[in-house]
Amino acid sequence: MSGFDVAFGWAWLIPTLTAVAFVIVGVGGRRMARLEWGGWVAVAFSFAAMVVGILVAIGEMLAPGSYTDSSVTWISIPGSPGTFPNGVQLDIGILVDPISALMLLVVTVVGFLVLLYSIEYMHHDSGLARYYAELSLFLTAMTGLVLSDNLLEFFLFWELVGVCSYFLIGFYYEKPSAASAAKEAFLVTRVGDVLFLLGIFIYFAVYATSGSAPGWAAGGFKFTNGSAPFLAGAMGGNTPLLTVAGLMMLGGAAGKSAQFPLHVWLPDAMEGPTTVSALIHAATMVAAGVYLLAVVSLFLGFTPTDQLAIVAVGGFTTFFAATMAVVNPDIKRVIAYSTISQLGYMVFAVGAGFTMVGLYHLFTHAFFKALLFLAAGSVIHAVGTQDLFKMGGLRKTMPLTAAAFAIGALSLSGFPGSSGFFSKDDILGSVYATLGTHPQYWPFFLLALLTVFLTAYYIFRAWFLAFGGDGPRDATLPHAHEPGWTMRLPLVVLSALAIGAGALVFDPAFASLLPGIGVPPTFRGADLALSAVSVGLVACGFGLAYSFWGGGRVFELSESTWAARVRALLLHRYYFKAGYDWIGLRATYTVARAADFVERYVIDGTVRGFERLFAGLSDGLRRVQTGVVSDYAAYVVGGLVGFLLLLVFLAPWLLQTVGGG
Amino acid sequence: MSAFSPAGLLALSGALLSIGLFGILTRRNFILLLISIEIAINAAVLNFVYFAAFAGATGGLTGQAIAVVVIGLAATEVAVGLAIVLALNRLRGSINVAEAATLKF
Amino acid sequence: MLPVLSILLATLLASTLLTFLSGRWARYVALAGSVVFLVEVLLLLASFTQWAGFGAGGVPQYNDPETYPWISISWLTVNYAVGIDGISLVLVLLTAFLLVATVVYSWREEKEPALWFGLVLLTCLGCYGVFVALDILLFFLFWEAVLIPMFFLIGYWGGPRRRYAALKFFVYTHVASIVMLVSLLAVAFYSGAASFDFTSLYGPARALGATTQVFLFLGLFFGFGVKFPIVPFHTWLPDAHVEAPTGGSVLLAGLLLKLGAYGLIRWAVELLPTGLGHLAPLLYAVAIASIVWGSVVALAQRDLKRLVAYSSINHMGIVLLAIAVGSSLGVTAAVLLMFAHGIVSALLFMVSGSVHHTFGTRDINAIGGITPRTPALSTLVMVGSLASLGLPALISFPAEFGALLAAWDRISYWVLLPLLILVVTAAFYMWLMQRMLFGPPKGIPANVHEPPSFELAAMSILAALIVLYGVVPSLLVQVIVNSPIQGWP
Repeated sequence: MSGFDVAFGWAWLIPTLTAVAFVIVGVGGRRMARLEWGGWVAVAFSFAAMVVGILVAIGEMLAPGSYTDSSVTWISIPGSPGTFPNGVQLDIGILVDPISALMLLVVTVVGFLVLLYSIEYMHHDSGLARYYAELSLFLTAMTGLVLSDNLLEFFLFWELVGVCSYFLIGFYYEKPSAASAAKEAFLVTRVGDVLFLLGIFIYFAVYATSGSAPGWAAGGFKFTNGSAPFLAGAMGGNTPLLTVAGLMMLGGAAGKSAQFPLHVWLPDAMEGPTTVSALIHAATMVAAGVYLLAVVSLFLGFTPTDQLAIVAVGGFTTFFAATMAVVNPDIKRVIAYSTISQLGYMVFAVGAGFTMVGLYHLFTHAFFKALLFLAAGSVIHAVGTQDLFKMGGLRKTMPLTAAAFAIGALSLSGFPGSSGFFSKDDILGSVYATLGTHPQYWPFFLLALLTVFLTAYYIFRAWFLAFGGDGPRDATLPHAHEPGWTMRLPLVVLSALAIGAGALVFDPAFASLLPGIGVPPTFRGADLALSAVSVGLVACGFGLAYSFWGGGRVFELSESTWAARVRALLLHRYYFKAGYDWIGLRATYTVARAADFVERYVIDGTVRGFERLFAGLSDGLRRVQTGVVSDYAAYVVGGLVGFLLLLVFLAPWLLQTVGGG
Repeated sequence: MSAFSPAGLLALSGALLSIGLFGILTRRNFILLLISIEIAINAAVLNFVYFAAFAGATGGLTGQAIAVVVIGLAATEVAVGLAIVLALNRLRGSINVAEAATLKF
Repeated sequence: MLPVLSILLATLLASTLLTFLSGRWARYVALAGSVVFLVEVLLLLASFTQWAGFGAGGVPQYNDPETYPWISISWLTVNYAVGIDGISLVLVLLTAFLLVATVVYSWREEKEPALWFGLVLLTCLGCYGVFVALDILLFFLFWEAVLIPMFFLIGYWGGPRRRYAALKFFVYTHVASIVMLVSLLAVAFYSGAASFDFTSLYGPARALGATTQVFLFLGLFFGFGVKFPIVPFHTWLPDAHVEAPTGGSVLLAGLLLKLGAYGLIRWAVELLPTGLGHLAPLLYAVAIASIVWGSVVALAQRDLKRLVAYSSINHMGIVLLAIAVGSSLGVTAAVLLMFAHGIVSALLFMVSGSVHHTFGTRDINAIGGITPRTPALSTLVMVGSLASLGLPALISFPAEFGALLAAWDRISYWVLLPLLILVVTAAFYMWLMQRMLFGPPKGIPANVHEPPSFELAAMSILAALIVLYGVVPSLLVQVIVNSPIQGWP
């Protein structure tokens, strides 16, 4: 034990600090004398949050374990004889454990750096108070998610980060494309969210009725409550119901982490500011899906069917997204596809049972991907376009940015010694080791291996197009220059992390944040060959990129070949976007219009039909009222006579047949 | 008392009621209508008086008393009715009830 | 013991009468009366620590009970009987909040203000009475007392087709309430209880045979269901909402729809549990039909008020689903969702009204990009929309979560239908925000400014409640569970 474990008791401060920043900037931001002051407030609070986050992580390294801290009852409903006889208790609590400490490091460090970077990057934008308030709220929600101690709380923050992402993608809301992208992101992830919700229902219900669970009274459904993973014991093992629950978790993760087939929103989310892309759509929020799968695999467990499904989704997405990055002309979208692809690696690893390896890649990826985005942001800030084919030669005017992007690219592609190399080869090596027992993983392993080549190709293609050559291909671009220190400092820090973060795992103290990860498999004999293959693929990718795009060359594809058709398919994103738009807009709206028609003319038409029927009846009947007194008298007499006839004839008959007395 | 034939008297009051009803249903002249109503009412008065006499001492004077009340009522009714006739005549220049049919649908 | 509930009733009655009589000072009187009522309700809430529990023979008892003989003819006794449990109390709280918000929102009502504020108070008086009455006749009296002021609120202050809408509203709900009354009387007569008093009906009614219970429950379900409203008896709702003035829509969506749900819980589910048990599949089907239909039709609407009206059908469908589940979890979630929907739909109808005043139209396609011009109004639109689509940390989420969790236990995978409809609900709110709030400015008159401060104040109160109860739902939940639902199957 050391003095640092006192930090566990203060973990709640992290979301609270950023929440305070949210309130200050959100309420007072627009009234501040200078709008950047709101930004500096947010930076200051996120710095404080980062300090606490690092202290918590250090404490966790020195004394690994799970610490539940300050749990409060959110909702408590007593049992009744029907459903949930033990009642339902839902808690909001804080759980510090190794992986949440790791995530805290990622979120607070990248969050602080991105906020600092924003000071200059967003300087010219209006709505700065909104921007910093929303980012602070995002950090609150994200750290809250990481510190959740049960699935409901996890879902709660999960939705909150989703809505922050919605607002930040739509930051430039006057642009129709931004507003549309924000909506798309929210709705596509919402599909995943409802599946996630169903998964939660299943886990809750199974937990509440499982024999060995003490019931809700004993503290509710918590990750740490009961013997982990539940699946093995308390929850009844490999049942179809739990398979479904696991698949639902995969659905939720696929929505958030943009995995196939819910991947379409992430490239469009690039409509937001680049800083937002770096923090939310690269380093943290999109990784929440992977974190969810990790948490579920650690505490609840997946069935073998689930695992195969997760491996399939992850492995396929890895390759699928990388192909689309190969042809894209937009610097941010290339990186966005790369994010989807890298998230696929993580999902792939978690699915194959290497949760810690997946999280290790999450950790390294957060830094080098944030670096790539921030470097791209620096370029966009300088030249005012995202089109790679208009840029060129920027290494001369922006050497630091070019170096930072190159470091990010090397790390992403897995250049030996960089952090991406360790984590990605760890994934490939680990999965390779299980192929003997799980031959069904083979095709997805091959896809993941092939992606190494594609990754190196597309990221260096982007580098050559932006930074290589003699000068901009579009002469109208403004003269580029390096940004100020608030943008340069995050680039430098992240460059250092992109190189060095991977090697941290050799430090046993740090490795305790990833319990059970073991020595990276690159150092086992059989894996050296695999590493060689993978490095070879990186070299091939780099070489191909250089031969096509290096030195200011622009590779022209002749229009008639089959390759051009493939290129068109890739540029149209395999028509997924068009298909979803068709389903989401055309088809659904047509159904809604049809329903509206039925509503107006069939349902309400029936109602009006009755109305007309009775109106007609009464219209006919009222003609009886002639106003002539004699007619009324005649009705009276007629009625009397009729009544007398009834009395004389009907009554005796009735008495006879029915009987009376 | 036995000089009265119940059948004859009931036939008489029945005949009066029928004459009155016939008048009510067929006449359009307001005065004739009033007279017809009077005839029909008198049929009822006759029945009251007859059954009071028929019941003898057990019935007391109830029948006769009601007969007197009805006669009084009939008188007031005629008074009101004739007043309406006058008002109608002044308003429309006619006492035909079929023409005073504004209270219809 | 203070006759607390009668004091509350007297407060409303006195402020209603005074408001009617006070001419141009009506709004001050109405505000004073509603604030006093709110304070009294909050005091009642603060003093409500423990529900009275089950009495002899398992009959539920109620807090602050008052029973005075009212009509007594041979075997028939009608009492003035009132009392509350957690469910009633939460709904009374909702009544108080919405009363204050409505009075503040319509502060500058210029058309017959005395009549307007008086009728608003009268509507809330009726709702309050429904929530506390424990006698069939008293219940029915208050129930009908709600219809008449609402009829006039729609028919006099409403939009161009107000007469049609008011009449449709009245005929629908009146037919339903006759069926309801007959069914309630049938419950009383069949059970052979010597009174119309809820507590004396409780035992005998629950002891009725299954067939009787099923038929009586059907009658009550229809009677209360039209008020919900349930598909296909829902078409009065969009018309009434579109034509009603904003204050009328707020009370209609916020309170009147809750009467049906409350009635179903108190007078049908509590008295006839066996009937519910047999009819539960029907209720699930109707509930899911309402959920799906309301949401899908809402997607096609262009009129902001109509859209919110259809989303009300969707939400009340979830309430019905949760009531049909019937366990303590289900009913707690149902009542919580009733409260949530009351606040959220009130906010949404208020923003619809403000959008209409500000931009001269409620057509979602006609205006766009209003955020830079009216940031406060736009923020309120966002809060309302996000709350209505069930965002966590806002009030609807815990309720919908509980409702669907409870439903999962009874209808298993069928719960996927309402779950997927959550995406559709999100879709039409997102689309609404995209079209109206975002994008380039469109259809905005030149001299547009934010709505008047009293409208913003009323809406901000509701938005604050949405966040408060969304973050700390246990403030409500611990009250709701203090009720007979603890013993429900």
